[in-house]
Amino acid sequence: MNKGLISFLVFVVGLAVFHNAIFPIFTPKEIGWVLNRYVYFLIFVAYLIITNLILRLKPPIAMTALFVWGLGFYFYKFILYPPIPWTLFITYMVMWSIGTFLFVSQDPETFREFRKPIVKTIVGEYKFAQIIALTAMPILVGFATYNTIYPSYQEPVELRTVHPAPPATTKVHGKTYPLESTNNPFRVDEQDNYKDSFPFLDADKNEYMKYVTEGGTIFFQNCHYCHGDQLNGLGMFSHVFNPTPANFIDPGTIAMLQEAFIFWRVSKGGPGLPNESTPWSSAMPPWEEHLNTEEIWKVILFEYWYTGWHPRTFGTEGSEG
Amino acid sequence: MTKNTNYIKRLIFSFLAVALIAIPTSVFAVAPDGIKKDMLETGKKVYFKRCVWCHGVEGGGDGPSADRLFTRPRNFIQGTFKIRTTDSGELPMEADLIKTVKNGLQGSAMPAWGEFLSDNEIVSVVQFVKSLVQDRDFNDIEDEGVTVQDFGTNPWGTTGPYHLGVPQADIDAGKEVFLKNKCFECHGGEGRGDGNPTMKDDWGFPIVAADWTQCWNFRGSRRDAFNPFNVVRTVSTGLNGTPMPNFKDQVTVEDRWKLAAFVNSLCPRKNIDPLTSKPIPDFLIQSVYTEGQVSPNIDDPSWQSPDTDSRIVAFPEEIKDNPKRHYIAMAGQITRGKRNFDPKTDDLWVTSRWSAEDNAVYYLVEYHLRFMSQDPEYPDAVAIQWPAKLQDLFGAEKPYFIMGDSKKPVDIWKANFLAQDYNATNAPKPDGYKLKVDVEEFVGLGFDALSAKESEGKVQVVDSIYKQGRVKIMFKRDLKTEGEFDVQIPTEKFIPVSFLQWAGRDKEKDEHMSISTWYYTILKPALPASLYYMPPIMAVVFVCFQGWLVWMTKRTRKMYDEGKMKRDELPK
Repeated sequence: MNKGLISFLVFVVGLAVFHNAIFPIFTPKEIGWVLNRYVYFLIFVAYLIITNLILRLKPPIAMTALFVWGLGFYFYKFILYPPIPWTLFITYMVMWSIGTFLFVSQDPETFREFRKPIVKTIVGEYKFAQIIALTAMPILVGFATYNTIYPSYQEPVELRTVHPAPPATTKVHGKTYPLESTNNPFRVDEQDNYKDSFPFLDADKNEYMKYVTEGGTIFFQNCHYCHGDQLNGLGMFSHVFNPTPANFIDPGTIAMLQEAFIFWRVSKGGPGLPNESTPWSSAMPPWEEHLNTEEIWKVILFEYWYTGWHPRTFGTEGSEG
Repeated sequence: MTKNTNYIKRLIFSFLAVALIAIPTSVFAVAPDGIKKDMLETGKKVYFKRCVWCHGVEGGGDGPSADRLFTRPRNFIQGTFKIRTTDSGELPMEADLIKTVKNGLQGSAMPAWGEFLSDNEIVSVVQFVKSLVQDRDFNDIEDEGVTVQDFGTNPWGTTGPYHLGVPQADIDAGKEVFLKNKCFECHGGEGRGDGNPTMKDDWGFPIVAADWTQCWNFRGSRRDAFNPFNVVRTVSTGLNGTPMPNFKDQVTVEDRWKLAAFVNSLCPRKNIDPLTSKPIPDFLIQSVYTEGQVSPNIDDPSWQSPDTDSRIVAFPEEIKDNPKRHYIAMAGQITRGKRNFDPKTDDLWVTSRWSAEDNAVYYLVEYHLRFMSQDPEYPDAVAIQWPAKLQDLFGAEKPYFIMGDSKKPVDIWKANFLAQDYNATNAPKPDGYKLKVDVEEFVGLGFDALSAKESEGKVQVVDSIYKQGRVKIMFKRDLKTEGEFDVQIPTEKFIPVSFLQWAGRDKEKDEHMSISTWYYTILKPALPASLYYMPPIMAVVFVCFQGWLVWMTKRTRKMYDEGKMKRDELPK
């Protein structure tokens, strides 16, 4: 059998087997030092090189170029993670194509060899290939033109600031709170002491669980519709709103914020946001309209207890109420 | 001692059960899955952290949230569980409860816990829930024998997520089963759950029949909305505690699958978001350019298109250029003023056309409503909300989505309507009910600062109907008008738009309503003429280029061969 054909099969069949059988093994939920997608890619490249060397296939330079180009395409399209936007993908592939061209034109010998099948196709020595290429390409150009001209509309992309800069003070129910120095008055103890306590059952026994129970009650009468029973922002109405409700489980929300910041956000809601946070779309109510100050603090206490996060604090002072 | 004899009893029982299961029949009862006592402590911890808020301290379905939920949380005390594989009235299998906890109950507040809790925590909490059942006993192997039903297998071998490809003949046969067993008495003539407004559950709370055209809201959909198995299971086992009976004896298993195929065929195939188990909203409403006049008639062929996503099932050839139905997700307005915690509508479908000759834009707004208002004081209503001063908005800026704000007013086109000769208890009426519509236009400067426009109203409702649980209202307005607070609608521009809806039967009015977030709409221009001549021109140009390339290459070759030119030589 033709060695070039064998080399081609080694590439195509190898890729199919690797991608469908071996790739899933290398992309487990827990990424390790060995079991990750980049190691998988290196193994695939090593497989190609070693197989070609051992079988002494020496594929023609045009085919080698095709392999190199294909490997780049495969890497950017399927391996690189997280996936890149298509504009970036096009940019990378242009660079990669130039690199591939440099590879084939590294010396006149390889370049001539690379050109040979192309020239033969053009002048008609490969008659069949010539007919296919000369008819297929104008049709492709026609389709590409059609697709470019055909009007298509995508909804505009809107950017917003997730954690806007807080004001120095906020006025809730007639009282002014400086955000820097305000603490949760219901944080009467270290929350970790209550990991094995039960809301409701222990509410009579200790003050802390009493506040958690009260906060949870408010949460599950008002907040869970959007922020969800799991506080993950996937409540029963969450799919309706854009921006989607905050996910408190995520380390990027309440875990990295001060309680006073959250007090401000809860009290003032969407309408209290600055313009860069698109206040016109936020469904977050200004909770001062529905809850009193104590209820707001208790909800915040509950959110930390439920998620297990600790509020961010500045300085060394404790968080006594 | 008793514990020991119990154990032996159970052993014998399970032994018998295994022996009997080997015989392909399901008439023999097996013991219910007992409570694993060693897991109760973990279960209690999970329950009191995660579940107690809705299901209550004693499992009575009376947690703090319960009164503000429509479809209240389950009351565990009676041992009544809806989604089971066991016979009607029986206790569920442990696996049924585990699946319920893992997948949640779609269309209700019960979320899927499968990714949130570990398997051990889920099994433990299920044990604890079983221990909350007071009126029945999972450990009672004599009186609580359960029969796990045999549902057969999917006869068409369809696969997820969309389960397409069931032969039409079987769907039609399923419709016969539907008619014969009078499913329409509760589920309505076209399955939108609009059959019976008086139903109550075992605890006396009002309850409605499932809307089959929104299968992603089926409680037992198990995050696999389009799977006909879900329907077969519910039809076979009934839903304990609700008016839904089982049809195990009236309908053969084969016919139950056909019925399921029919029920499923009514549910439009949409791309379902795996996180929320709801269809992904169509955030851009495309208004299609129409030659000549737009038909102001809902039944006109130019307005026909299925709810199904055309990327999943292509539209039939004769309507392929029709505008598609855009899915708008709705929720209760729970932000300002009087909040609406139990909205009766969560979907809205919008189709739009515009015409330059007509100088007008048409929006056909449809939504599902089981029962209409009969009270003239509280009519049903739906509205389209626009920024009133589109020209003053900069970038992504919009008015506040709940009826505007003091700086940025909104223009609200509201249609109030009552169905004529309608009674909620009427039998399904295939022709539908004519609506008496009254259009109002408002300027909104906030939910508490709404006023009727002073300028002359230009919005018309040109056609409307309430048919088989679906309201259809067609709005029309000129692109340009004189009113100070009228939105001026440009073409080829993204325009923010949102939707409001009031259910008269629930006495919704003012800010007590359902609402969507801001969407965009765009009036698409006619297809450019260059679309038809440019591609051939480019192709011909490319053919010429190819000819030149071939000619050049051949000429170079010839020059080499004749020795007029030397091939590139390697550098010495």
